[in-house]
Amino acid sequence: MTGYADGSTALRASGILLALLALAYGGQVILAPNDSMQGVVQKILYVHVPCAFAAYLGFLVTAVCSGFYLATNDERYDRVAAAAAEMGVLFCTLVIVTGPIWAKGTWGHWWAWDPRLTVTLLLWFIYLAYLLLRSFTEGSERTARLAAVYGIAGALAIPLNYFAIDLFGGAAMHPENLQRGSLGQGMGWPFAVGVATAVAAFAHLLLLRVGLEASVSPSGGRLSIRG
Amino acid sequence: MNVFLAILWKDLLVEWRSRDRVVAMLVFSLLVVVVFHFSLPGGATAQTRATAPGLLWIAYVFAALLGLGRSFSAELENEALSGIALVPVDRGWVFLGKGAANLLVLGVVQAVTACVFALVFEVDLTPVAGRLAGVVALGSLGLCSIGTLFAAVAVRTRFREVMLPLLLLPLLVPVLLGSVRATSALLADGTAPFAAIQLLIVTDAVYLILSFLGFEYVLEE
Repeated sequence: MTGYADGSTALRASGILLALLALAYGGQVILAPNDSMQGVVQKILYVHVPCAFAAYLGFLVTAVCSGFYLATNDERYDRVAAAAAEMGVLFCTLVIVTGPIWAKGTWGHWWAWDPRLTVTLLLWFIYLAYLLLRSFTEGSERTARLAAVYGIAGALAIPLNYFAIDLFGGAAMHPENLQRGSLGQGMGWPFAVGVATAVAAFAHLLLLRVGLEASVSPSGGRLSIRG
Repeated sequence: MNVFLAILWKDLLVEWRSRDRVVAMLVFSLLVVVVFHFSLPGGATAQTRATAPGLLWIAYVFAALLGLGRSFSAELENEALSGIALVPVDRGWVFLGKGAANLLVLGVVQAVTACVFALVFEVDLTPVAGRLAGVVALGSLGLCSIGTLFAAVAVRTRFREVMLPLLLLPLLVPVLLGSVRATSALLADGTAPFAAIQLLIVTDAVYLILSFLGFEYVLEE
């Protein structure tokens, strides 16, 4: 496990933080009151919303690190961008899976072409394409360069897609902001701890993934079988 | 600027001499229109006419995907693409030349497809022909700018025919939404909504700038 050598302290710290937060988070979700209208199904949102934060954080990190990579040509930025995209896709998948389960119980439909939902789905496709692009390109320097351009384009497409779908797409079903009062009594803390936990999980997984990438030979953008 | 004109002239000349790309795109997009006609029950009814603008744009996007992919895979022969990358100028101009050639070739295909489309779906395009051409040009500008950039990316990957649509389609949603909305409003009441045109202009500007700057990193010696 030499791959952790450069970030082992940070990795351990984020692991401990994640474990503590996860405990607090579990407790908060169990103790949180059931929603008077939606019942227990509303508790899915304590997973859904924090995962959405982590997913968007992942895509943001990918775009920013892609920009830094193109500017500096430093391979480390590329590793972080690739790892963040994987984490982004992972959390985004959780968002897209948990959303419909809740929506079926509350809206009565599995899916609605609401702007935020549609943009998240498109983002998921964009970053899946990003990961496919990485695995279908040969040569680590070329992979890094081409993926960085796509990572930046993907992030630029977020506001454009949102603007377009908001204009012409379906009606908005998601709350527009997180103003005080939109959450019931005792529901604020599980959300806050949930977001903190998701961000900690993101950070911990990112550190693990970047360490793994760095432990592979410097030329390899992917895992290779080693004796 | 000279590089821009040189690349544009070279691409158009090659296209004029062989005419293989434009013919392939044209036949393909006409087939798509015909297949759409048969896959909709009942032929040309009011209902199919309502969905027609969307179908027209899908035919355009498919034809564009075909042509964009070809515009760079043809350059792989004799390492011509590396030769272009060695030209000591800002590669953004190379992008503009390639993109403009793609736009013009696509424009020819789009014009013919629109005529056949009007016949197949019994839509009268003549009263709005000028405005429709404007909307199609705006939509195609966005399509060809980001399309040319990622065609140059896809050509450097394995499975490049598959990679191009995967990379491009999620980014084309704003272009498609704006174009389809503007086209359907044009066909319905003869005017394009300002919001759709605005969306197309903003998207075109963002994608043009992104592609102009990004092309620097996409070409390699």
